[in-house]
Amino acid sequence: MGDPIIETQDLTFRYSGNDSPSLDGVSLRIGRGVRTVILGANGAGKSTLFYHFNGLFRPSSGRVLFDGQPVGYRRRGLRELRSRVAVVLQNPDDQIFGQTVEDDVAYGPRNLGLDEREVEARVERALALVGMSGMRDRNTMKLSYGQRKRLSIAGAIAMEPEVLVMDEPTAGLDPQMSLELMELAEQLHHSGTTVVISTHDVDLAYAWADEIHVLRKGRLIYSGESEGFYSDPVQVYLTGLIQPSMFLINKSLCDMRGLPEVPFPRTETQLVSKMASGPKGRFVILPVRDAMSPSMVDSAVSWLGGTEIRLGLYGTTCRRLLPDSGVPVDYVFDGFESCMSQCLMGRDVVLLCDEGCVDIVASKIRRLEDFGTVVETKVL
Amino acid sequence: MEYILEARDVSHRYGRGEDSPYSLHHVSVGIREGVRTVILGANGAGKSTLFYHFNGVYRPSEGEMFYRDIPMSYEREHLYQLREDVAVVVQNPDEQIFSSTVEEDVAFGPMNMNLHPDIVEGRIRDSLFKVGMEEYRYRPTTQLSYGQKKRVAIAGALAMEPKVLILDEPTAGLDPQMSQEVMELVDQMCLAGTTVVISTHDVDLAYSWAEEIHVLRMGRLVYSGPPEPFFGDRDAVSLAGLTVPHTFSVNRSVEGIRGRSESPYPRTESQLLAKMSPPEARFGRISVRAVPEDGAVPDDGGELVGIYGFRTRRLFDETGSRADVYFDAIEGCCLGAMQGRDAVLYCDPELVDVVRERIRGLSAFGRAPEVV
Amino acid sequence: MGGGRTSDSGTSEHIRMDALAYSSRMLIWAPLGKLILVIAVLVVNVMTDSVITAFAVLALGLALMAYSTNMRIPFMLGVAIAEALLILIVACGIISINGDHSQPCIWSADFLWLDFYMTADSFNQAWLVLLRSVAGITMMMAFATSTPIPHLAQALRQIRIPDEICEIVVLIYRYAFLLLERMDTMWSAAGSRLGFSGIRRSISTVASIAVGIFTSSMNLADKAQVSLECRGYRGYFPIYNRPQRAGIGWISVAVIAFALLYILGIHTEGVVDFAGLAFGA
Repeated sequence: MGDPIIETQDLTFRYSGNDSPSLDGVSLRIGRGVRTVILGANGAGKSTLFYHFNGLFRPSSGRVLFDGQPVGYRRRGLRELRSRVAVVLQNPDDQIFGQTVEDDVAYGPRNLGLDEREVEARVERALALVGMSGMRDRNTMKLSYGQRKRLSIAGAIAMEPEVLVMDEPTAGLDPQMSLELMELAEQLHHSGTTVVISTHDVDLAYAWADEIHVLRKGRLIYSGESEGFYSDPVQVYLTGLIQPSMFLINKSLCDMRGLPEVPFPRTETQLVSKMASGPKGRFVILPVRDAMSPSMVDSAVSWLGGTEIRLGLYGTTCRRLLPDSGVPVDYVFDGFESCMSQCLMGRDVVLLCDEGCVDIVASKIRRLEDFGTVVETKVL
Repeated sequence: MEYILEARDVSHRYGRGEDSPYSLHHVSVGIREGVRTVILGANGAGKSTLFYHFNGVYRPSEGEMFYRDIPMSYEREHLYQLREDVAVVVQNPDEQIFSSTVEEDVAFGPMNMNLHPDIVEGRIRDSLFKVGMEEYRYRPTTQLSYGQKKRVAIAGALAMEPKVLILDEPTAGLDPQMSQEVMELVDQMCLAGTTVVISTHDVDLAYSWAEEIHVLRMGRLVYSGPPEPFFGDRDAVSLAGLTVPHTFSVNRSVEGIRGRSESPYPRTESQLLAKMSPPEARFGRISVRAVPEDGAVPDDGGELVGIYGFRTRRLFDETGSRADVYFDAIEGCCLGAMQGRDAVLYCDPELVDVVRERIRGLSAFGRAPEVV
Repeated sequence: MGGGRTSDSGTSEHIRMDALAYSSRMLIWAPLGKLILVIAVLVVNVMTDSVITAFAVLALGLALMAYSTNMRIPFMLGVAIAEALLILIVACGIISINGDHSQPCIWSADFLWLDFYMTADSFNQAWLVLLRSVAGITMMMAFATSTPIPHLAQALRQIRIPDEICEIVVLIYRYAFLLLERMDTMWSAAGSRLGFSGIRRSISTVASIAVGIFTSSMNLADKAQVSLECRGYRGYFPIYNRPQRAGIGWISVAVIAFALLYILGIHTEGVVDFAGLAFGA
């Protein structure tokens, strides 16, 4: 666990006068590069808390530290802080300030006072990352909800923050969009951004988080690894949450079979690995840089010896290249999990993967070894 | 009469021009009376548009709508009558609450139906009781939290005592416990004879709840029927912008590895576990009891106590009795029993048989905890 | 939808006032009755020149307000009243030093180019104005803290203002909260992206927010229309629990209060001489 990038010390906040506080003595540390989830029911104080992270709210008492330094509430301090901590709100409509897509993404960088060349470069990068490069001139009013959501994230990424805070990122998104978004969060995490998500979706939180901070009525009641919190059903109940289904299934199953609960599976493939094992297929990773073609897949197939394969996809670049490439991909969304579950059933699989994401995928495969699954892997 | 609501070859486009896009394209769908139905589809697939055809707010550009086999007439009086029978709860309660106090808002529907004030009074009480908002009756709606507003919006629809209740994304934006409470209420409405239709893109919710699903993709109906064949067709699921539910895919993978048949398909965690449980596991017993009218529940000590049904819930709230499983209790008690604990499940008197049936139903997947 | 997310941009005060009105003990009183009483008292307050009447009105207003809010006058309301008082005192100070030069002076001074000239009349006049205004404000506050807007609309309806207008008032009131909340959120979002650095940026940000609010209000109107139809709307808003109607009782209370205060005023004009008390003149 790295040094804390954001820290609050005894943070208390009340909206005005003599009300009961919306945050009450919250002391937490968010480690640099730690996938962090702020968990709590509606009205627990999640939003209030992260408005403190970027200095939008000022604590009634206690203090907020960024990178070890107390946050300054003077103009310059705030400016600096907000360029390093970006916040994405739940509803994209609340944060679109431009007529066209590129205008909107440029809004933040321009406010930072960057020169146009730099602004342009950042807009380009941010839009590429969310897979919207082709839509620069589109009117923001005419985008679909999922596109507006991605746009709002691009707007935050364009600030090139060290910390990206997302409030309920998957709320209102359909399942494929949610998966795509979490894939993006994973990519940002691996590129060095500290990603903080606030949510009440326990399944999402459980699958993704390294560390959770749980709020209940403005008080911090838990900080640490997910399992420590979910193992206490009374606490979970009092917080207005439920146990994630992966956790619950694992627990029940282990009780029934008299197995240890550890290691805790957090994804479906981990759970399945723990529950059943048979002959595995082979897993081929095909890194994609800036072109994708059927011949790449053919070479992978011939390497595998011409067997029937399942083809998946991972990463925003691949996704963007897919429509024009003519590659018959089976799993466009949740490519890793889908391929891996096929692999567990004994099929050979190929995963087309952004060059930058190869490490992510490799580490996911290694993680499965804890659950008893060793898969023959090859990066072509 | 096969369908209570039916769309025959219905198309709908916004605007009149020849080139205005279709939001529904030759959709034929029938809702069976008393069948738990889910309309599934990604954002923008046309779910809401279809809903608004069911209660006559939208009129099809082509095709015809039927209510109880009678073609819908778009005469004013007929429309009013249709909407008394078919209530829609929209996703965002803020769009649906018009009055400044809770009581006034719940009364809005019944008052529109020109009911006698005494009847309206009864309906207000009844529906606020069901959603657990009695204490908030005189509160201004602007001061409610999101979850409370949602409850008021649902109470507003219940107060009209509709034959068909249509809910658009009923659990969106709600925290998990609140979602479970809403789904429990919806369940109870079904059992009481209301036909409930839910639109959602939450595949896990749809899979665990629905008897029949209708899947929309870009304004076209791509599937109608029980959920399993649809989710078994990976390409169709992917094209519709959806994913495969967790229980479905875990079951598929595990049975695939073991080389066994996927069916029977478990839809809930307890069903999945019943299927996966080893024969040597010792199950606890579940005692299903009607909640005593005075709410005086004997504290038996070691047993797991679960509650199910809004009456039971209110009684437990009032008496402050202890419950371990407060939400989604049938599931919770089954899981508890499978881990070897004995459980007591208190529920509303009329639900006792249904709940027992459901628990016994687990035996189709392997072994069920004993019900006493 | 993280619960009551309101910040320091005024929304919370708006909501607070509303909450206060709804929790008032005078909520169930007929809104029109309250309105008539307040108007009657305010009129008599300026019709008589007696300080005693002003005192009586002040006492009545304070009593009503205390009853209405159950003695818990919120901090912010207190600040608002204090602010109003301060302005009044300054204004009355100016009245008091602008006396008629033909009358005997009780205090005068020259300060820079200003010529202070206070007479007994101007001094008394200032006190009367001050008391009257404070009394008037208190009376109006008593009304405002006990009557939410929808009830006011109900009162308007009773004096034959067309239903359409009353409904629009209620709907505006209802949606104002939503739009304010939304503005609040957009404000925060803009701040998070440094939208308020520099005057030019602030102006364009505010313009974008205004556009956003406008489009969302259009959307809201659209959706509200559909939801209305879903709930069996028949072209008018039914009211289930009508607040009490103002009957003969309320009118007679208002008339009696008016008469009593008026008679009191006639008989006590000039009884209290502040100048005499203050300067012994």
